[in-house]
Amino acid sequence: MSNAAVTLELSDQFAKLASEWKSLTRYMSNSTQMATVWPYQQIIGLGQPAIPFILRELERETDHWFWALEAISGENPVSAEQAGDVDAMAQAWLDWGRQKCLI
Amino acid sequence: MLSDSAFPRLTAANHEITSAPDVGYNCIAWAAGDSARWWQPGFFWPLEVPRHECGIGALEAAFQTLGFEECSDGTLEAGFEKVALYGAGLMYTHAARQLPDGAWTSKLGKAEDIRHDAPDDIAGGVYGEVVEFMRRRIS
Repeated sequence: MSNAAVTLELSDQFAKLASEWKSLTRYMSNSTQMATVWPYQQIIGLGQPAIPFILRELERETDHWFWALEAISGENPVSAEQAGDVDAMAQAWLDWGRQKCLI
Repeated sequence: MLSDSAFPRLTAANHEITSAPDVGYNCIAWAAGDSARWWQPGFFWPLEVPRHECGIGALEAAFQTLGFEECSDGTLEAGFEKVALYGAGLMYTHAARQLPDGAWTSKLGKAEDIRHDAPDDIAGGVYGEVVEFMRRRIS
């Protein structure tokens, strides 16, 4: 399978899992509960190749992708002052992704 | 009207939607009077707790720092404001705040705020059941 085909397959897989996760967690307020939902665990299981897709989705629509990004990357660019401010947390991760040329 | 298996006890008669969806704050923040942050151990929490802490005890401790103490029920009491804490298993799932007229207000996760008649109206589904009521004196 070509690299382009692998990327397309991963893109489709991520889009399906992200849609399922958003639907299942729409009413959840506990981020731990959100992160234990099966599609989210599957996205974390995709590993490093999923990060650009997560960042592009975060750029498109702010949502709670922070724990997945941290779990996969082992990094956390969110400062103590930004923590809890969802827009600021999203921006910190997008800035991190741009610095690493991931988006 | 919200019609969803997540809320089997909600009916057209017992609630109304009072805001647009907003991912920027959650029910815990809303119950505490904050609509600018998402309250979660590891993000923002009013006391130091491990980021993996997600039990009812952590939620109870958070509201204690705001001056709330456990009380017996969710009836309207003059001079007090109340919150209802919800859980499923050992995990906290939700908090609702009593309004001055005795009705309740809830932020539903990443979705809308609603006004509902009673704490039990949003129980029985995604939030499990009410596990504790707390109150604090209105200053």
